[in-house]
Amino acid sequence: MTQALSARKLLLRDWRGGELGVLLAALVLAVGVVVGISAFVASLQSALESESRRFLAADQVVSSSREIPASWVEHARHMDLEVATTLAFPSMVFAGDDAMHLASIKAVSDGYPLRGVLQISEEPFGPLEQTRRVPELGEVWLASRLFSLLGVSVGDKIWVGDAELRISGTVRAEPDAGGSAFGYGPRLMMNLNDIEATGVIQPGSRVTWRLLLRGDPQALTAFSEWVEPKLVQGQRILGLDDSQPSIGRTLDRAQGFLLLAGSLGVVLAAAAIALAARRFSERHTDYVAVMKSLGASTGRISQLYGSALLLLGLTATLLGCLAGWAIQAAFVGLFAEQLGVQPGSTGIQPYIVGGTTALVCLGFFAWPPLWRLSQVPPLRVLRRDLDASAAQRWRDYALGGAAMVLLMWWYAGDIKLTAGVVGGLTVTVGLGFIAARFLLQGSRAVGSAAGSVWRLALAGLVRRGNANALQMVIFGVAIMLMLVLILVRTSLIEQWQAQLPEGTPNHFAINIAPDQRGSLADFFAAEDIASEPLYPMSRGRVMAVNGIALAEGRDEEGQPRQREANFTYSDTLPDANELIAGEWWSADSEAAEVSLEEGFADRIGASVGDELMLRIGADEFSATVTSIRRTDWQSMKPNFFVIFPKAVLEPFPKMYMTAFYLPGERKATLNRLVRSYPTLTVIELDIVIQEIRTIVDRVGQAIELVLGVILLAGALVLVAGVQASVDVRMRESALLRALGARSGLLLGALWIEFATLGLLAGGLAVVGSEAAAWLLQTQALDLDYVATPSLWPVGLITGALVIGVLGVLSCRRAVRVPPLVVLREV
Amino acid sequence: MTNLLKTVPVADGELEILRGISLEIKPAETVAIVGVSGSGKSTLLGLLAGLDLASGGDVVIDGVSLSQLDEDARAALRAQKVGFVFQSFQLLPALTALENVMLPLELAGVADASARAREFLGRVGLEHRLDHYPTQLSGGEQQRVAIARAFAARPTILFADEPTGNLDGDTGARIIDLLFDLNATEGTTLVLVTHDERLAARCGRCFRMASGVLAED
Repeated sequence: MTQALSARKLLLRDWRGGELGVLLAALVLAVGVVVGISAFVASLQSALESESRRFLAADQVVSSSREIPASWVEHARHMDLEVATTLAFPSMVFAGDDAMHLASIKAVSDGYPLRGVLQISEEPFGPLEQTRRVPELGEVWLASRLFSLLGVSVGDKIWVGDAELRISGTVRAEPDAGGSAFGYGPRLMMNLNDIEATGVIQPGSRVTWRLLLRGDPQALTAFSEWVEPKLVQGQRILGLDDSQPSIGRTLDRAQGFLLLAGSLGVVLAAAAIALAARRFSERHTDYVAVMKSLGASTGRISQLYGSALLLLGLTATLLGCLAGWAIQAAFVGLFAEQLGVQPGSTGIQPYIVGGTTALVCLGFFAWPPLWRLSQVPPLRVLRRDLDASAAQRWRDYALGGAAMVLLMWWYAGDIKLTAGVVGGLTVTVGLGFIAARFLLQGSRAVGSAAGSVWRLALAGLVRRGNANALQMVIFGVAIMLMLVLILVRTSLIEQWQAQLPEGTPNHFAINIAPDQRGSLADFFAAEDIASEPLYPMSRGRVMAVNGIALAEGRDEEGQPRQREANFTYSDTLPDANELIAGEWWSADSEAAEVSLEEGFADRIGASVGDELMLRIGADEFSATVTSIRRTDWQSMKPNFFVIFPKAVLEPFPKMYMTAFYLPGERKATLNRLVRSYPTLTVIELDIVIQEIRTIVDRVGQAIELVLGVILLAGALVLVAGVQASVDVRMRESALLRALGARSGLLLGALWIEFATLGLLAGGLAVVGSEAAAWLLQTQALDLDYVATPSLWPVGLITGALVIGVLGVLSCRRAVRVPPLVVLREV
Repeated sequence: MTNLLKTVPVADGELEILRGISLEIKPAETVAIVGVSGSGKSTLLGLLAGLDLASGGDVVIDGVSLSQLDEDARAALRAQKVGFVFQSFQLLPALTALENVMLPLELAGVADASARAREFLGRVGLEHRLDHYPTQLSGGEQQRVAIARAFAARPTILFADEPTGNLDGDTGARIIDLLFDLNATEGTTLVLVTHDERLAARCGRCFRMASGVLAED
């Protein structure tokens, strides 16, 4: 490259023009936001996977009702997989002379858990500690409440079958506890090697063996392919899909939002890039004509501007990747502790996505106007009216639009979301343009009746009607996108926080005997503990649907099976439940009706109108399904699969359950509670709730960070948009000054012109954002729509103020510098 | 040029701007083309310099027929053989005086572009203004840079479009002296479009353009 014609020099010298700065910043932002978000989503996904693994306590599990053959364990080891075995079964546990209780025994081998951690404490309900150990030979760990049920303390002896074991600790939380809390009593954890000594496992015992595996995904696949043909009834492979982390949905929505925000950021950046590139190209038309008249060929011009763009693109991509890395690192920093997200675990993919974004932005938005420069006729040096063909512009816009749609689809991986956003944008731009023209005409009518400053300003707006309408739409869309993000963000976060307000019950008490109800209420009152109402609870089983008996045993191959569940009664539809089919019964219903939870109904193959045969204890009875409910399992309230009218369940024996809130510093109260009511079972949810709440807070912070980036992209569009019209306005202002207009008049007119444009754009934005927020909240993000009038003035004022200030700042030279200088320059 | 025609499409048919102009200009000749605004002077200049294509007829420069060349080949020819001086100077504002002069030299592939540019800027008396940008120069200085740029590439033929049109009388006169001095030294063919009769009078031959037809004075 020659000296005077070097691309680097071209860029450096043109920096003062301003549009290159916007171009670079927009490109850096686009790449940064895409890299940052996709890297973060990648680490979030890997974190979710590891969360799922934690719930399995392994990467993969083989579950079996009989002992796992030693050859399988050998084979897994041979394939370099880490292996651990667990065995779970209910058994009576004896202590002292006459104390005994049914416990849910879990015998574990060394290495358990392969994923996640065990949480133990020395004393019941004592301070938590994480451990990688399992109980030593001859030792057991008990659940807190088993201590009071058996009247034992740490160091005492207990008996499981024939084995005498010493209590050496308290087991508080295990990764793969799952729903076993409602199973056969409190947990007792022991060493697998002590099982033989107990003598309790006999052929035919009701036990669950689990072979836990951890290792390379390929080895895991190979192992499951090897073991699959060997599985018999009662044996199955559990993978990641079989475990659902409780926070999954929250994070899913957050991902959806982040990807959407990212796409919008890129759309905004692309608009800024297109505007800046167009202005750059317009400013260079004369230069190119001169260069061509001096002998520069079309190829030479393309090469010059192409290399300049490439140089700019490479710099921007590099800076963008750095910015993206920083955004990702900030996100990961927010979540690292909760999710175990490891920085650097995102791979190269996000950077490829970022590079592609840069290529698309440059290729479809920046390059077309620059390429057109090479088509400028050299005769333009003599005739300034000649220009490169403008007809191709519409084709460029169409191509750019199509590229953007594909890019958004690629990011979000969701055609519905993409179509929604693209459709919304298209309608907004189309309607916006019509509305803008209409508004501009209206403002002219107002202006002609007003004073000279107003007349001058508003006439200016109408004179460049199409250009101003387009600019208004661009401003409008930019402000609209910002408003939409603020609206959606607010409702997302508020909804999440509303799910788990302060004081959400964080403990369940189950197995409350009918005669304990009164005194338990007194206990709660005396201890000043807020509790939910008591829910009656009977353990029952669905035997048949419409006279067809359900098979016994476990759910395999999706066949409907008999189901055991906790039955309750209620006259009203409980909170956190939504009726999706049928009708709720009247309060005094005595009919044999039953309401089922959606998933439960699915699993037994029942729908509204079906007749169920049910069994509680030895009693069988029938009831008709009159409603199906959707239950919010994240509500942390007592939820039931099967609900009856009071009259139906009343005659059966039942226990009660409730939920209550106990702040962390009062955990010791639990000891008094279980000592007073030894048969009562307390389930601690406070650890999970705290985890969810922290994650919701962090998601909120992540969203705010992205919002900041999007606001920046929006501001760039505004700057680029104002810059695009500055040359014309500067020239006009200079002419008017040359004709004797006072600078005060011109400044006033500029203020009014830009502020009116901004105000009208803000109006468009408010209407558009409410429509878009409605669409997004109800269709894409699964939230309720609420109009937000408080944000309307924000849109209007932001529009008027920001566009006004930007416009006047950009054009102030026209008023300050002698008119001749301006006229000579532009 | 032989039987040069230029028509442009208008609403009701075609408008003839040049109606069959034939003219031969010898090497090192100085030729003025005068005429009122809108007579077609600039159109003719554009065709002669290969900036535009004729509707009919041909322009031959140094034995090369322009009608046979595409735009890039004409650009290459301009780089090798043609120089320009414009009424509005047409310096690139992003380049310094030196770089503006170097530009056509680089386009023509001249090896010692910088040295030659310095030499010619010296010859127009701007050796102390090499690193100034066009906005930092007066109108007369800018036109001197443009003249240095035009001659530095040692063109066979130089086209000047109203070179004094944007300058006051004194400055304009000095620019004209400079232009003719350099032209004499370099032995360049000069084609000058102007409506300044005094300027036209300094040329060897003078043609008058009226209604698309050229007549020698």
